[in-house]
Amino acid sequence: MAKEIGAEELGRFITGGKVKSRREWRGIEDTLYDYSRWLYIMAQLGGFIMKPRNIKAMFRYRWMANYLGVPAMVDRHTQGLRGPYLRMAHLEQDLVVYDVAKLLDNLFRGDRRIGNDEEFSKKVILFDENEMTSVMMGFPTVKGLSRETPSTYVPVLLNQKAVLHYIDVCQEYGLPGDVCPMPAAEAGVSIDDDAPILGAGAIQCNTTCDGSLLSNGVIGKRLEVEDGIPIFQMAAPLRHQEDDVQEYAAQEIKNAIAFVEERTGEKWDWNYYFECAKRVNIATRARLYWLDMNKTDYPQVFGSNLALYTETNYMAISGKVAAFADVDQKLTELADYAYKNKMMMAKEYRHRAIVWGVQSHFYFDFLLWLVNCWGIVPLTDMLSMVNTRMIAEEDTPENREQAYRDMAWLTENMIMRNRTHGGYKVLLDQLWEYCEEFNADTVILWEHMACKALTGMHGQFEEKAREKGIHLIWVSHDLFDPRIVSRQEIRDQINNYMRTVFREEPLDPSLEVLDDDNAW
Amino acid sequence: MKDLKHLYYFERLLEDANNELIQQAKSEGLKCIAYTCENVPEPLMNLAGTFSTRLRAPRTGSIDMGTYYLTSFLCEYSRALLERAIEGGYNFADAIITPDGCTMMNRCVENMELLHTMDQGKENFFYEYMEIPQKGDENGLNLYVLQCKNHILKPLAEKYGIDVSDAAIRKAVAEHNEICHLIRAMGEFRKEDNPRITGYEYHIITLASYVAPKHLIVDKLRETLEELQSREPDAKFPYRARVVFAGSEVDDVDAIKLCEESGAYVCADRFCYGSLPGRDPIVLNDEEDALTQICRIYQKRAQCPRYWDTTKYWGRKSYLDEIAKEYKADGIIIEQMKFCDPWAYERMVGTVVMREDYGYPVLAVDRPYAIGSSGQMRTRVQAFVESIEIKKIQGGNK
Repeated sequence: MAKEIGAEELGRFITGGKVKSRREWRGIEDTLYDYSRWLYIMAQLGGFIMKPRNIKAMFRYRWMANYLGVPAMVDRHTQGLRGPYLRMAHLEQDLVVYDVAKLLDNLFRGDRRIGNDEEFSKKVILFDENEMTSVMMGFPTVKGLSRETPSTYVPVLLNQKAVLHYIDVCQEYGLPGDVCPMPAAEAGVSIDDDAPILGAGAIQCNTTCDGSLLSNGVIGKRLEVEDGIPIFQMAAPLRHQEDDVQEYAAQEIKNAIAFVEERTGEKWDWNYYFECAKRVNIATRARLYWLDMNKTDYPQVFGSNLALYTETNYMAISGKVAAFADVDQKLTELADYAYKNKMMMAKEYRHRAIVWGVQSHFYFDFLLWLVNCWGIVPLTDMLSMVNTRMIAEEDTPENREQAYRDMAWLTENMIMRNRTHGGYKVLLDQLWEYCEEFNADTVILWEHMACKALTGMHGQFEEKAREKGIHLIWVSHDLFDPRIVSRQEIRDQINNYMRTVFREEPLDPSLEVLDDDNAW
Repeated sequence: MKDLKHLYYFERLLEDANNELIQQAKSEGLKCIAYTCENVPEPLMNLAGTFSTRLRAPRTGSIDMGTYYLTSFLCEYSRALLERAIEGGYNFADAIITPDGCTMMNRCVENMELLHTMDQGKENFFYEYMEIPQKGDENGLNLYVLQCKNHILKPLAEKYGIDVSDAAIRKAVAEHNEICHLIRAMGEFRKEDNPRITGYEYHIITLASYVAPKHLIVDKLRETLEELQSREPDAKFPYRARVVFAGSEVDDVDAIKLCEESGAYVCADRFCYGSLPGRDPIVLNDEEDALTQICRIYQKRAQCPRYWDTTKYWGRKSYLDEIAKEYKADGIIIEQMKFCDPWAYERMVGTVVMREDYGYPVLAVDRPYAIGSSGQMRTRVQAFVESIEIKKIQGGNK
């Protein structure tokens, strides 16, 4: 046990149970810091559970039990981290945890079956999990809440087996097993009638894939037909790089705003919109700054630190929560400090990788494993490569019109969909451009087997990588379902490549094979 | 029943993507516009100087190359098309237009483009991808019109000098409508208690109308309709049940043949490549430009699951009910091609709704691209027919 990076064999803590055998020793300062953040998370959990309506929800909704795994999830995403990297991870994770706790609290407050606060519910608009929320940037008094985020998306990050029940429910209802398990699980929650019921209306979107699009119908059957909550379908263009779809996209945003106004009786507030727009730009600038740093020999904000935070900040927050702008600033300060001191997250960096494709949710901390086990630095990942444009942030008559286009652009270029839709250029060609920009020698290509947009370019990825002399490591998985490809099977795909092609030995051999099939 | 005079001829047209009528039209100097999806308005590709053909991959055997590029998780239709394109089977085409309708079809055509499967040595060849609306509203209509202008009419005019004026479009619609009238008139016979045309025969004729140049096939369609008007059906209805065949892309004549051999008469064809609503005539007025009207009609009638607004979503189920009643169906077969995401969901919900809300016996199946020899499918249809018979005997639901 020592405070240096890599002093502990991280694989030894995993012993086949749900949680690790003990906490990691990171030296006095870092261990105390880490422990204090663990206590903070526990206090959050305690505070949340204290409320009677949340206890009621714990017994009503099957997926709620997964939230007992929050501390374990934060631990997974901080494995082996020291100094600024540990602090970055906690800054992000703690804020995300706080935000999800707030979301749950709001959902149960309005839920007809739990809090049943009707007045509150009248000012709620439901959103999909995988949906850009920029249309809410002008509604300070309306809450845009997602039921799918806490019921399916977050639980899989907490507990790898969290949504297997819902996938099975959906398949028993008649869905084939080859569609993406994410929308299948979301549909399963609706079929199982296991989602909170609230809201003056709902906005669904055509986000990432055909499966995600079509599962809206199943959810709508329960929500609109049975629960009587009207739905607006916001259809963002798929070929989002084309000029001739932008007018249509902006009109969809206008129609969505009109729907919210009609359903809630609230009016669009331009002051609030431009306030949020400023924060969107702060987040974009910060992300671009970090990415630029990652192009150097001393990348600082990457792996889980980049991926999970960007997903939340870009999509669910979209400038609406000031705390995220503050964290953006603090993260940048930490990154600057680490960069100036030429600090590294692991004891050795051997390969610079772009992580592409759709990441496995039940193994999101895989990015950290790559660094700790093999010294592969995940410089950036596909889901973090979202909008790079600054949006209009000053309130002028021209900018008000531009704002609709900006919201449309953010929505069109939302996480995942900006690559899975839009033609091969954004999925295939830009990958090689990023390899060059980031000076990457390796691509870790998550092949989510049920993601047709990704697998539809399989042969092209292989051929182009060969042509360009880039190491392409396929990592097959089934997104939400570890029964199809387990965490170890995911790791083995890297292990095999590293040993047979690169002929390398791991930095931390204890991480190569882990007994974590039963872990959270 | 006596064989239809031209049935074998129509059947032969389906044996090759590059059928003899395509070759004839090409030799006349016409430009062949290939397409892959019902959401691309057909008349716009049949202007003077052009003709359309909807791509199929008849007699598909190995799809190894298609599978390499697209993996085994994409539907066999997209893999078979790519395989055929790589083999050079669509070299007759002068352009291909595809909507970003389903991801798999889009990726299929993108791979065709990246591999330069169809454009080599053809200076004016173009690949066009369209954004097709996903809702039945006005905003979607405006998009549809703009996309047709930019991705069909503009490249046709610029690359091949085709007249894309309103008058030219109206002429193409008139020709298109004649085909539709003929096909639908033949389809009307399927409503008879003892129909004089089988679902299999009808499917062949309908399919032929999608893949062959219309001006070269119209005479034989006229003759066939005339022949049908006096055709004598078998003395006794030879089937045990009447079914609507609904679902995703079906360009395999054996699929319908298999159903009918298993005792289920296919009285209505609600699938891509079918006549409902694919062969609904396009009725234009003189007040509005033809393009907008065509787009509105296509948007309104579309039964594709990619239209996901509430009205269209539930409209698809009520449309199925309407045609089941109109064609006196005893049950509904809802099929999807294996790995098709849109129809996977549509089949799932459609099956539950048509069974529970509308009271129809429903068979839900997923199937490969070429199904003719599937014993499993045969058994399932046979069992479905028996279940319908048992319900009839027991006096249960329809």
